[in-house]
Amino acid sequence: MSYKVTEEDNVSIVHLDGEIDMDVTEKAKEVIMPLIEAKKEVHLNLKNVQYMDSSGISVLIESHQKATELGTKVILKDISKSVLKVIMMAKLEQILNLG
Amino acid sequence: MNSSVENHISEKKDFVVSSSSLKDVRTFSREVFSKVNLNQDLKDELVLAIAEAAQNIVKHAYQNQETDDKMEIKISLDNGELEIGFFDKGRPVDNSNVRHRKIDDVKPGGLGTFFIKQIMDAVVFKEGEKPWINHLILTKKINHR
Repeated sequence: MSYKVTEEDNVSIVHLDGEIDMDVTEKAKEVIMPLIEAKKEVHLNLKNVQYMDSSGISVLIESHQKATELGTKVILKDISKSVLKVIMMAKLEQILNLG
Repeated sequence: MNSSVENHISEKKDFVVSSSSLKDVRTFSREVFSKVNLNQDLKDELVLAIAEAAQNIVKHAYQNQETDDKMEIKISLDNGELEIGFFDKGRPVDNSNVRHRKIDDVKPGGLGTFFIKQIMDAVVFKEGEKPWINHLILTKKINHR
Protein backbone atom coordinates (compact mmCIF):
# COMPACT_ATOMS: atom_id res chain seq x y z
CA MET A 1 0.00 0.00 0.00
CA SER A 2 1.16 3.50 -0.75
CA TYR A 3 -0.51 6.80 0.01
CA LYS A 4 -0.50 10.52 -0.68
CA VAL A 5 -2.02 13.23 1.52
CA THR A 6 -3.19 16.53 0.09
CA GLU A 7 -4.92 19.48 1.77
CA GLU A 8 -7.80 21.42 0.31
CA ASP A 9 -9.87 24.02 2.22
CA ASN A 10 -9.15 22.48 5.63
CA VAL A 11 -9.99 19.01 4.31
CA SER A 12 -7.28 16.37 4.32
CA ILE A 13 -7.52 14.04 1.36
CA VAL A 14 -5.78 10.70 1.77
CA HIS A 15 -5.29 8.86 -1.50
CA LEU A 16 -4.69 5.19 -0.73
CA ASP A 17 -3.23 2.92 -3.35
CA GLY A 18 -2.83 -0.87 -3.52
CA GLU A 19 -4.13 -3.67 -1.34
CA ILE A 20 -5.15 -3.09 2.28
CA ASP A 21 -4.81 -6.10 4.52
CA MET A 22 -3.71 -6.89 8.07
CA ASP A 23 -0.08 -6.32 7.12
CA VAL A 24 -0.59 -2.62 6.32
CA THR A 25 -3.40 -1.55 8.66
CA GLU A 26 -1.01 -0.05 11.23
CA LYS A 27 0.59 2.03 8.49
CA ALA A 28 -2.85 3.17 7.29
CA LYS A 29 -3.87 4.14 10.84
CA GLU A 30 -0.61 6.06 11.35
CA VAL A 31 -1.54 8.18 8.33
CA ILE A 32 -5.25 8.66 9.00
CA MET A 33 -5.61 8.92 12.79
CA PRO A 34 -3.41 12.01 13.39
CA LEU A 35 -5.47 13.91 10.82
CA ILE A 36 -8.68 12.98 12.63
CA GLU A 37 -7.12 13.82 15.99
CA ALA A 38 -6.28 17.26 14.55
CA LYS A 39 -10.07 17.49 14.03
CA LYS A 40 -9.77 17.80 10.30
CA GLU A 41 -12.39 16.51 7.93
CA VAL A 42 -10.75 13.57 6.20
CA HIS A 43 -11.60 12.24 2.76
CA LEU A 44 -10.29 8.77 2.00
CA ASN A 45 -9.94 8.33 -1.74
CA LEU A 46 -10.27 4.59 -2.42
CA LYS A 47 -10.23 4.70 -6.21
CA ASN A 48 -6.95 2.82 -6.43
CA VAL A 49 -7.53 0.30 -3.65
CA GLN A 50 -8.02 -2.99 -5.48
CA TYR A 51 -8.45 -5.18 -2.42
CA MET A 52 -9.53 -4.66 1.18
CA ASP A 53 -10.08 -7.33 3.80
CA SER A 54 -11.73 -7.27 7.23
CA SER A 55 -8.67 -5.54 8.73
CA GLY A 56 -9.03 -2.70 6.26
CA ILE A 57 -12.74 -2.46 7.03
CA SER A 58 -11.80 -2.22 10.72
CA VAL A 59 -9.63 0.81 9.92
CA LEU A 60 -12.60 2.46 8.19
CA ILE A 61 -14.86 1.76 11.21
CA GLU A 62 -12.25 2.96 13.71
CA SER A 63 -11.63 6.13 11.69
CA HIS A 64 -15.35 6.83 11.38
CA GLN A 65 -15.97 6.30 15.10
CA LYS A 66 -12.97 8.41 16.15
CA ALA A 67 -14.06 11.24 13.87
CA THR A 68 -17.62 11.13 15.21
CA GLU A 69 -16.26 11.20 18.77
CA LEU A 70 -14.18 14.30 17.97
CA GLY A 71 -16.94 16.11 16.09
CA THR A 72 -15.49 15.77 12.61
CA LYS A 73 -16.03 13.26 9.83
CA VAL A 74 -14.39 10.81 7.49
CA ILE A 75 -15.88 10.56 4.01
CA LEU A 76 -15.04 7.69 1.65
CA LYS A 77 -14.57 8.97 -1.91
CA ASP A 78 -14.33 7.28 -5.33
CA ILE A 79 -14.72 3.84 -3.78
CA SER A 80 -13.51 1.07 -6.07
CA LYS A 81 -15.97 -1.66 -7.00
CA SER A 82 -14.11 -4.31 -5.04
CA VAL A 83 -13.95 -2.22 -1.85
CA LEU A 84 -17.62 -1.23 -2.13
CA LYS A 85 -18.52 -4.90 -2.37
CA VAL A 86 -16.70 -5.64 0.90
CA ILE A 87 -18.29 -2.59 2.61
CA MET A 88 -21.70 -3.89 1.55
CA MET A 89 -20.85 -7.42 2.65
CA ALA A 90 -20.13 -5.94 6.09
CA LYS A 91 -23.46 -4.07 5.89
CA LEU A 92 -21.73 -0.75 6.50
CA GLU A 93 -23.01 1.26 3.55
CA GLN A 94 -25.56 3.02 5.78
CA ILE A 95 -23.08 3.57 8.61
CA LEU A 96 -19.93 4.90 6.97
CA ASN A 97 -20.06 8.18 5.04
CA LEU A 98 -19.90 7.29 1.36
CA GLY A 99 -19.42 10.43 -0.71
CA MET B 1 -15.75 -22.62 -23.35
CA ASN B 2 -12.02 -22.14 -23.27
CA SER B 3 -10.49 -25.62 -23.51
CA SER B 4 -7.43 -24.50 -21.53
CA VAL B 5 -9.62 -23.81 -18.49
CA GLU B 6 -9.83 -26.66 -15.97
CA ASN B 7 -12.70 -27.69 -13.78
CA HIS B 8 -10.67 -30.12 -11.74
CA ILE B 9 -7.82 -28.82 -9.63
CA SER B 10 -5.85 -29.82 -6.59
CA GLU B 11 -3.04 -27.51 -5.59
CA LYS B 12 -1.35 -26.78 -2.29
CA LYS B 13 1.32 -24.44 -1.00
CA ASP B 14 3.08 -23.65 2.28
CA PHE B 15 3.35 -20.14 3.70
CA VAL B 16 5.19 -18.80 6.73
CA VAL B 17 2.61 -17.92 9.39
CA SER B 18 2.88 -14.13 9.20
CA SER B 19 0.76 -11.19 8.12
CA SER B 20 3.42 -10.51 5.50
CA SER B 21 2.46 -13.82 3.83
CA LEU B 22 -1.13 -12.76 3.18
CA LYS B 23 -0.22 -11.13 -0.12
CA ASP B 24 1.41 -14.39 -1.23
CA VAL B 25 -1.69 -16.32 -0.11
CA ARG B 26 -3.82 -14.10 -2.34
CA THR B 27 -1.41 -14.45 -5.26
CA PHE B 28 -1.47 -18.26 -4.93
CA SER B 29 -5.27 -18.31 -4.72
CA ARG B 30 -5.67 -16.03 -7.72
CA GLU B 31 -3.27 -18.18 -9.75
CA VAL B 32 -5.20 -21.33 -8.89
CA PHE B 33 -8.59 -19.77 -9.68
CA SER B 34 -7.25 -18.34 -12.95
CA LYS B 35 -7.21 -21.94 -14.19
CA VAL B 36 -10.88 -22.46 -13.38
CA ASN B 37 -13.95 -21.39 -15.28
CA LEU B 38 -15.65 -19.24 -12.64
CA ASN B 39 -17.24 -15.82 -12.54
CA GLN B 40 -14.66 -13.16 -11.59
CA ASP B 41 -16.81 -11.83 -8.71
CA LEU B 42 -16.93 -15.32 -7.21
CA LYS B 43 -13.18 -15.71 -7.64
CA ASP B 44 -12.66 -12.42 -5.77
CA GLU B 45 -14.94 -13.59 -2.95
CA LEU B 46 -13.12 -16.91 -2.68
CA VAL B 47 -9.75 -15.14 -2.52
CA LEU B 48 -11.13 -12.96 0.29
CA ALA B 49 -12.42 -16.01 2.20
CA ILE B 50 -9.05 -17.77 1.87
CA ALA B 51 -7.10 -14.69 2.95
CA GLU B 52 -9.44 -14.18 5.94
CA ALA B 53 -8.95 -17.78 7.05
CA ALA B 54 -5.17 -17.43 6.71
CA GLN B 55 -5.34 -14.18 8.68
CA ASN B 56 -7.26 -15.99 11.43
CA ILE B 57 -4.40 -18.50 11.72
CA VAL B 58 -1.91 -15.62 12.17
CA LYS B 59 -4.14 -13.75 14.63
CA HIS B 60 -5.73 -16.55 16.63
CA ALA B 61 -3.83 -19.83 16.28
CA TYR B 62 -0.51 -17.95 16.64
CA GLN B 63 -1.82 -14.83 18.44
CA ASN B 64 0.29 -12.60 16.15
CA GLN B 65 3.50 -14.10 17.51
CA GLU B 66 6.51 -14.35 15.25
CA THR B 67 7.22 -17.90 14.16
CA ASP B 68 9.08 -19.90 11.55
CA ASP B 69 6.15 -22.32 11.38
CA LYS B 70 4.37 -22.75 8.12
CA MET B 71 0.71 -23.18 7.29
CA GLU B 72 -0.46 -25.17 4.31
CA ILE B 73 -3.34 -24.21 2.06
CA LYS B 74 -4.84 -26.75 -0.30
CA ILE B 75 -7.42 -25.82 -2.93
CA SER B 76 -9.32 -28.67 -4.56
CA LEU B 77 -12.16 -28.59 -7.04
CA ASP B 78 -13.79 -31.76 -8.23
CA ASN B 79 -17.16 -32.26 -9.81
CA GLY B 80 -18.38 -28.80 -8.75
CA GLU B 81 -17.30 -29.23 -5.12
CA LEU B 82 -14.73 -26.71 -3.99
CA GLU B 83 -12.80 -27.63 -0.85
CA ILE B 84 -10.17 -25.39 0.69
CA GLY B 85 -8.08 -26.88 3.47
CA PHE B 86 -5.95 -24.95 5.96
CA PHE B 87 -3.41 -26.77 8.10
CA ASP B 88 -1.44 -25.19 10.92
CA LYS B 89 0.57 -26.08 14.02
CA GLY B 90 -0.65 -23.26 16.25
CA ARG B 91 -2.78 -23.22 19.36
CA PRO B 92 -5.63 -25.75 19.07
CA VAL B 93 -8.81 -24.06 17.91
CA ASP B 94 -11.84 -24.49 20.15
CA ASN B 95 -14.65 -24.69 17.62
CA SER B 96 -17.15 -23.36 20.15
CA ASN B 97 -15.15 -20.12 20.43
CA VAL B 98 -15.18 -19.45 16.68
CA ARG B 99 -17.87 -16.88 16.09
CA HIS B 100 -18.19 -13.50 14.49
CA ARG B 101 -19.50 -10.42 16.23
CA LYS B 102 -23.12 -9.40 15.79
CA ILE B 103 -23.13 -7.56 12.50
CA ASP B 104 -25.26 -4.65 13.81
CA ASP B 105 -22.86 -4.13 16.72
CA VAL B 106 -20.56 -1.91 14.67
CA LYS B 107 -17.01 -1.97 15.97
CA PRO B 108 -13.58 -2.77 14.55
CA GLY B 109 -12.74 -6.47 14.34
CA GLY B 110 -14.68 -9.71 14.24
CA LEU B 111 -15.63 -9.51 10.58
CA GLY B 112 -13.27 -12.07 9.03
CA THR B 113 -15.25 -15.10 10.15
CA PHE B 114 -18.47 -13.34 9.12
CA PHE B 115 -17.10 -12.88 5.60
CA ILE B 116 -15.97 -16.50 5.40
CA LYS B 117 -19.40 -17.74 6.46
CA GLN B 118 -21.13 -15.44 3.98
CA ILE B 119 -18.98 -16.62 1.10
CA MET B 120 -18.66 -20.35 1.79
CA ASP B 121 -21.35 -23.02 2.24
CA ALA B 122 -19.67 -24.74 5.19
CA VAL B 123 -16.86 -24.11 7.67
CA VAL B 124 -15.59 -27.13 9.60
CA PHE B 125 -12.75 -27.34 12.13
CA LYS B 126 -11.07 -30.68 12.63
CA GLU B 127 -8.14 -31.82 14.68
CA GLY B 128 -5.20 -31.94 12.29
CA GLU B 129 -3.44 -35.18 11.52
CA LYS B 130 0.24 -35.15 12.51
CA PRO B 131 2.22 -32.95 12.11
CA TRP B 132 -0.69 -30.51 11.99
CA ILE B 133 -2.67 -29.29 15.00
CA ASN B 134 -5.60 -27.61 13.25
CA HIS B 135 -7.36 -28.46 10.01
CA LEU B 136 -9.96 -26.00 8.78
CA ILE B 137 -12.11 -27.02 5.83
CA LEU B 138 -14.10 -24.52 3.79
CA THR B 139 -16.45 -25.92 1.16
CA LYS B 140 -18.68 -24.48 -1.51
CA LYS B 141 -20.76 -25.97 -4.28
CA ILE B 142 -19.72 -24.29 -7.49
CA ASN B 143 -22.00 -23.73 -10.46
CA HIS B 144 -19.72 -23.30 -13.41
CA ARG B 145 -20.39 -20.32 -15.64
